[in-house]
Amino acid sequence: MKKTTYRGIEKKQARWGVAFVVPSVLFFCLFSFYPIINAMFTSLFDKRILSLAAPKFLGLGNYIYIFKSASFWNSMRATLVFTLGTFIPLLVFSLMFATFIYNICGRRSRGFFQIAYYTPAVLSSVVAAAIWLLILAPPGLGNQVLNWLCRTPGVDRKWLANGTMLQFSTMLVYFWKYIGYFVILFITGLATIPPTIYEAATIDGSSKWQSFWRITVPLLKPTILLVSVMAMLQCLKTFSTQYLFTQSGGAAQDPINVITLNIYETGIRNQRIGRASAMSIVLFVIMLVLTFAQFKISKSDDVDY
Amino acid sequence: MKKAIIILTIVALIAPMALFAQGSKEASGPITIKFWTHEDVNRNPLELQYIAEFEAANPNVKVEYTTQASGKMADIVQTAFAANQGPTIFNLPISDEYAYIVNGRVAPVDAKAAGYADYQAIKSAYVDGTLDSVTVDGKIYGLPLELTNWAILLNKGIFRDAGLDPNKDYPKTWEDMVAVSEKIIQRDGDIITRRGFDFRYGYYLEWLVPMVEQLGGKLISDDGKTAIVGDDAWLKVLTFMQQWGPNGKNLGSSTYTAARKLFNKNNGDIAMALTGYYQTARISEENPEFYASGDLMVIPFPQFKDAVKEVANCYYGHFYMVNAQASKAEQEAAWKLIGYLLSHGDEYLDKAALPQPTKKLFESPEYKAKPYTDVFSADMEKAHIMYYSENSAEMQKLLKSAVESVMLSGVSPEKALATLKASAQELIDEN
Repeated sequence: MKKTTYRGIEKKQARWGVAFVVPSVLFFCLFSFYPIINAMFTSLFDKRILSLAAPKFLGLGNYIYIFKSASFWNSMRATLVFTLGTFIPLLVFSLMFATFIYNICGRRSRGFFQIAYYTPAVLSSVVAAAIWLLILAPPGLGNQVLNWLCRTPGVDRKWLANGTMLQFSTMLVYFWKYIGYFVILFITGLATIPPTIYEAATIDGSSKWQSFWRITVPLLKPTILLVSVMAMLQCLKTFSTQYLFTQSGGAAQDPINVITLNIYETGIRNQRIGRASAMSIVLFVIMLVLTFAQFKISKSDDVDY
Repeated sequence: MKKAIIILTIVALIAPMALFAQGSKEASGPITIKFWTHEDVNRNPLELQYIAEFEAANPNVKVEYTTQASGKMADIVQTAFAANQGPTIFNLPISDEYAYIVNGRVAPVDAKAAGYADYQAIKSAYVDGTLDSVTVDGKIYGLPLELTNWAILLNKGIFRDAGLDPNKDYPKTWEDMVAVSEKIIQRDGDIITRRGFDFRYGYYLEWLVPMVEQLGGKLISDDGKTAIVGDDAWLKVLTFMQQWGPNGKNLGSSTYTAARKLFNKNNGDIAMALTGYYQTARISEENPEFYASGDLMVIPFPQFKDAVKEVANCYYGHFYMVNAQASKAEQEAAWKLIGYLLSHGDEYLDKAALPQPTKKLFESPEYKAKPYTDVFSADMEKAHIMYYSENSAEMQKLLKSAVESVMLSGVSPEKALATLKASAQELIDEN
């Protein structure tokens, strides 16, 4: 007896869903998943980028080497300093600017501010770094404007020539470039909060300050989480600003030798692709753990309306 | 559904391997040569003209000539080779190229295709020793596009403007260089608006190592087992660099525009730059008025006052090499093209100021009569080839880190030397 199978509408729709998802899955496998697996595999070998000989199996040798390496720990320090110094201001100021634009400005001026903040995000990181190199060079605009404002003619702030200032300069470029992008995300999040909640709070005598902390921040939590995860991952992956500053700007490498720059130097310039793969896997694990931790923390006090 | 997803994942994982895997090729039919070289405003048009002539004489050969910024060439070529997609012909400085030889990525010279009877004929054609760096186990792996050393280009006008007589007051020692720079330099507060001289930052194997050698130090011991020999010499040079930088006498720094780029403009920004003979052709092209003004002068690489040995700036070679993964036919055509290009050594010298180290050219009265070649040739006699090995790039980076740390990061020369010694020793021990 022939067995009749009943396919529900959900299953039919699911087929279409699969069809739509397949291209992106393929894309992900080709450009993300495959390189990750490949890097994990390569990190176990003493592989030199130009060598045609079979690479020597080292097991965890590359990992042991990098964890003993002063250069790697300097890169971890540089990455941590850059991430904390950029990610926290990015999160705080993008929320501040978004709230300012959303609440204070009219529709026209809101559009103007959105475009103004977002414009640097359109530039490629390389172009942004190149522009800032001109500004931060000793005879550049950075010194000129500050000296004019502070009435301190001829002072060189050593934007690129002092370790601390150099780290600050890379943070400044990144902050300038990405602030607009996160402002737009926050404005989108703010638009999803029903205005009736603010109206009810105002009738109950709530001040703007109270409304911000008691309504806006709790209800904006999903967006804050999204922005914080995205900003943190972006900061951990920073590369082009540091690369341009050291290659074209003549800045010292050690203070801003973030882990991605170290991976590039180790894998491409020094040809040790196995060791560079081990570093990239360590970075991947750090990013994974931090993202997981952020999700865990944010889930503990979810707010709904 | 699960099965489909599993199959899809496996296909997605295997597909890239199939896409990126590539063995050596065997060409049939027309031959295409991918030729990658660095940008040179004078040399590139010349080579395009020779390539057109070569293609006309060899209708089955098509040459794709691509130029890249010289600073990017090493990364671009290496990335292409790593993906087994390297060009048929390329050139890099020998410090970068040596790794291609030891890793078997480049083919030995096809002497007959290049226009020679055999290897002995090639060796006889070139100045003694100039092919040593590309000769391994008796095989020659590259032919020199240029053999270059750097001396100091001097702008007489700026010297006169600072009240100096360029013919008498030009710096002979590094101590002179500091004194002369202090007379020429102009600042707006701490910010330098005119420099006397500045170094060629990033290329420390070329000029820092000879400075150390002048004082009796060495990068690597003669037996190749010890790195950074002669602490006193290294300390003196690192202290000199610390004093040169913004935390010392503030005479220059890597954070200012590269000296050689400003020098050509003759707009009062810099009086002296460390560069090669090729720069004279670039000045002639970029700023003919300055070139013709008679204000251009070349002086030898300075020595320390208490130098124990006279050592000039290291020389380096750019060698044309051929990809070992190209088919035999492509390799043969590539060497034939290289042979054809390099047979025009006199025009490379005339139009691009690139001296190819053939005996014929170096001993010719035309070469000796060229302005400024006397200084470069005399300095080359006192120089040796720059350090080259599979780890040259790493060694360059370690020197860069040491110099930057004393000049820009406030690290003491003693501490920078200790770090450099440990890292350089680890590097040579690993190899």
